[in-house]
Amino acid sequence: MIKFERFTLDNGLKVITHSDPSTNIVAFNLLYNVGSRDESPERTGFAHLFEHLMFEGSRHIPSFDNPLQMVGGDNNAFTNNDITNYYITLPKENLETAFWLESDRMFGLDFSKKKLDIQKNVVIEEFNQRYLNQPYGDIYLLLRPLAYTMHPYQWATIGKDISHIKNASLQEVKDFFYHHYAPNNAILSVAGNITKNEIEILANKWFGPIESRNIKVRNLPIEPKQLQPRSLTVNRQVPFNAIYKAFHMSSKLHPDYYTTDLISDLLANGNSSRLYQNLSKERHLFSDINAYISGDIDEGLFVVAGKLMKGISIDEAENAINEELLKIATDEISDYELEKVKNKFESVYQFGQLNALNKAMELAYQELLGDANRINQEIDNYRKVTKTDIKKVAKELFNVNNSSTLYYLTNQE
Amino acid sequence: MLNRQLHPDYKAIEQINIPVPEKVALDNHLKTFLFNAGTQDVLKIDLSFEAGSWHQEKPLVASLVNEMLTEGSKNYTSQQIAEKLDFYGAFIHPSPTKDFGSITLYTLSKHLPETIRVFEDVIKNPLFPEKDLRIHLNKRKQQFLIELEKVTNIARREFNEQLFGSQHPYGRKSEASDYDQLERQDLINFHKKYYHPANCKLIVSGKTDERIIKIINKHLGNNDWQNQQALNSLEYPIPDSPKLVSIVEKEHVTQSAIRLGKITINKDHPDFHKLKITNTILGGYFGSRLMKKIREEKGYTYGIGSNIVTMKNAAFLIIVSEVGKDVTRNAIDDIMNEINILRNSYVSADEMALVKNYMLGSLLRAFDGAFEISSTYRSLIDFDLDENYLHEAIRTIKTISPEEINQMANQYINEESLIKTVAGKYN
Repeated sequence: MIKFERFTLDNGLKVITHSDPSTNIVAFNLLYNVGSRDESPERTGFAHLFEHLMFEGSRHIPSFDNPLQMVGGDNNAFTNNDITNYYITLPKENLETAFWLESDRMFGLDFSKKKLDIQKNVVIEEFNQRYLNQPYGDIYLLLRPLAYTMHPYQWATIGKDISHIKNASLQEVKDFFYHHYAPNNAILSVAGNITKNEIEILANKWFGPIESRNIKVRNLPIEPKQLQPRSLTVNRQVPFNAIYKAFHMSSKLHPDYYTTDLISDLLANGNSSRLYQNLSKERHLFSDINAYISGDIDEGLFVVAGKLMKGISIDEAENAINEELLKIATDEISDYELEKVKNKFESVYQFGQLNALNKAMELAYQELLGDANRINQEIDNYRKVTKTDIKKVAKELFNVNNSSTLYYLTNQE
Repeated sequence: MLNRQLHPDYKAIEQINIPVPEKVALDNHLKTFLFNAGTQDVLKIDLSFEAGSWHQEKPLVASLVNEMLTEGSKNYTSQQIAEKLDFYGAFIHPSPTKDFGSITLYTLSKHLPETIRVFEDVIKNPLFPEKDLRIHLNKRKQQFLIELEKVTNIARREFNEQLFGSQHPYGRKSEASDYDQLERQDLINFHKKYYHPANCKLIVSGKTDERIIKIINKHLGNNDWQNQQALNSLEYPIPDSPKLVSIVEKEHVTQSAIRLGKITINKDHPDFHKLKITNTILGGYFGSRLMKKIREEKGYTYGIGSNIVTMKNAAFLIIVSEVGKDVTRNAIDDIMNEINILRNSYVSADEMALVKNYMLGSLLRAFDGAFEISSTYRSLIDFDLDENYLHEAIRTIKTISPEEINQMANQYINEESLIKTVAGKYN
C-alpha cells in the first residue's frame, strides 16, 4: 500500500506527495500531458525535440544542469507517445533547488535559433544511433505506419523522418511550448522524506505565480477498425530474418487491458513462457522471441517479435507463432499457469516500487490516467482476470484481420 | 516578489553515511556480507565466483558455464527451473565478466524457502545437459553475429585487442567459430574447478532477520559443495608497444564508433581517486567538458563519455562515442583538444565546486536503497577493498585542488599516448 496525499494549485497544477522516511534522496517528478500523439503529421518528432530544448536554459536561469549538479542532484527525462516526463533526484536538504529550476522552465524558456540548431543535430544523431545505425533498429519506423492508418501512433516518438526535425522552426517551438507546457497540463509528484505541508509551501511559492494557459484541445483521429490483414516485406543488411506481428488492442483504461497484458506474459514473460519454451527451446525456430504490449493510453499494439534461426523458413516461423496464438484463443489455460503470470506480475510490480523515484513516476502517471490511487489497485485488477477473459480477449485480439505483419529479411544470404 | 534569478539556499553535502556490512559466519566459511536495509520484504542474494574468462583455457567456457547454470541441474530440468522461478516471481541473473562469474537471486522474502532451493541446486549441481547446451550455443552464436553488426561492438573488440593483445584474456576477440568448439566436458571441468565456497563472495541485501540468515546458511553455508581450495591467479603479459591507431571500415553506416584510451592505474594506486575526479571533469558526467563540447556545442553526437574501467588485473581509461560519419575526424580532433586544454590550464573554482558536489551526490545515491548498497559494495569486495576505500574517495573529492587535477591530466591522460580506434567511416 503506497500512501499519498494530493492537492491542486489555483493555476491547475496537480501535486502528489508520498512520504518515505527511509531515504535521504528526494524524487521530484514532473509529468506534462503531451506526447508524440499530439504532433502534427508534418512535424513528427517534435515533442521529443522539445524535451531536449527544455535543458537549454530557461527565462531566468541560463543552465538547468549546472545548478542541479551543484547541489548533488541528477536528472533526466523521457518522451513517449503519450507523455513527456522530467525527473530529478537530489539530497533532501536541497529540495528547493528542484522547485526553482523546474518552475522556471515551466514559466518560460530561453529560446534561440542557435540552441535549436544544435539540439536538432543532437536529435538527428540520436535518430542515427538508435534507429538507423543498428541492426533491426528501424522496425518501429516500419511497423507503426503499417498498423495505424489514422491515429498518430503511426509514427515513432523520434519522428517519421529526419527531415521533420531538420525543418522545425523557432516559431513552431514557441507555439508548442505555450500550447502544451502549463501548470494546468502537468502533474508534479514528490516522494522521499517529506511532508505534504512542506511541499505545499514550496509548490505555492515557485509554481503558484505561473498563470494557467490555453491548452490545445486534444482531438485525435480515431483509428478505424482494421478489416483485413496487412503485411510488408523489407530486405535489410542484417544477418538473420526476423518477423514482427502487431495486433490492435484495447486502450489503457479498458478492462481488457489487464487481460491482454497477461496474455503477453503467458506467451513471453520469463523462461517458462510458451513462446520461449515451445518455439525457441523445443523447436529451435527462433534465437529470440518475445511478445509485449505497447502500453499506450489510446488503443495500442500487441506485438510478437522473433528473430529466426538460420535455415528456418519465414513461413514455418510464422505458422508456429500463429499456432501458439490460436492455442490461447481456443484452449482453456490451466489454473496454475494463470496463477503463475499473476504472481509474476505482482512480484515485478513490487520490485518496481523499491525506490522513491519509481514511486513518484508511477503516482504521477496513474493520476494522469484518472487517479493516483490506481497504484494500489493494479495488483487486484490483474488478479481479477479469469481464464474465460483470457480466451475471449485472445480470440478478438488474434483475429487475422486484426494483424499487421512485417517480414524483415536479410539480404546477406 | 519572487527572485527567480537567485538560487535558493542550499547546503554542500557534508555527511554521507556509508553502511558497514554485517559479517555473517556461515558454517562453511563462505565469505558473506550482509546489508539489512530497505522497507519492503524483498531480497537480493548475490554470489560472485572468481570464474571469469580470465581463468578459462578455451574461449567462451567461463561465460557459458555461468549462463548455463539454470539450464538443468541434479534435481530440476531447465524447464522446471524456469517454471519454479516464474511461479514465485523470482529471478536468477547470471553475470559473466572477464574476472568473475556472478549469479544473483532476486526474490520476495516470503518465497525464499522455495526459491533458494532452486538457486542452491543450479549453483552446486548443474548438469549442462548436452541438448540444452547445443540449443544455447546456436542461439548465442546468432546473437553474437547480430551484435557484430554494431559499430560500437566492432570498435570495442578492436580497441581491447589493441590494448591487451590478441592472446590476452582481456584482449582476445571471440569468433563465431568458438561457438562450434565447446564440449560439455569443458563446462563440467570449469565448474568443478571454480564454483566453490573458497572461491566466492556472497552479498545478502534487503530486509533480513535471523530466520532468513538461517535459511541461507542451510542452503549455501553447508559443506556439501564440491569443496576445493582457492586457486592461484594466472598471469598474462600486456604488450609494451600496442598498435596506436586502428580504423575498421564499415559500409552503410550513418555513424562511426570512436574509442580512445590507454592502460592506466587501478583502484589500489594512491592516485586513483584523483584520476577518477579528473576523468569525471573530462567526460564522466552530463556536465562534463566532452559532453559540453562534442554534444552541446558541436552537435556531433547523442552522447560521449569517458570512464576508467577497472578489472582485477588491469585498468584502462576510455573515451567512447558514436558520432556522425562525416564528422568523425572533427570529433576526434575536438576530443584531443579538450584533453590538451585540461593539461594546459587550471580548472576554475566554479567547475571544481560543481564536479565535487556532483560526485558526492552520486555517492549518496549509490547508497540509496538496499540493492544499490549491494551493487556498490560488490565493486569493493571483488577488489578486496572495504569501506575505507569510500572514505578515502570522499576525502579526496573534498580536498583535491586544481593543481592536482592538472598534474593528473599531464601524468595519465596525455593525448599523444592514447590508443585510437574507429569503426565506420574515417574520411
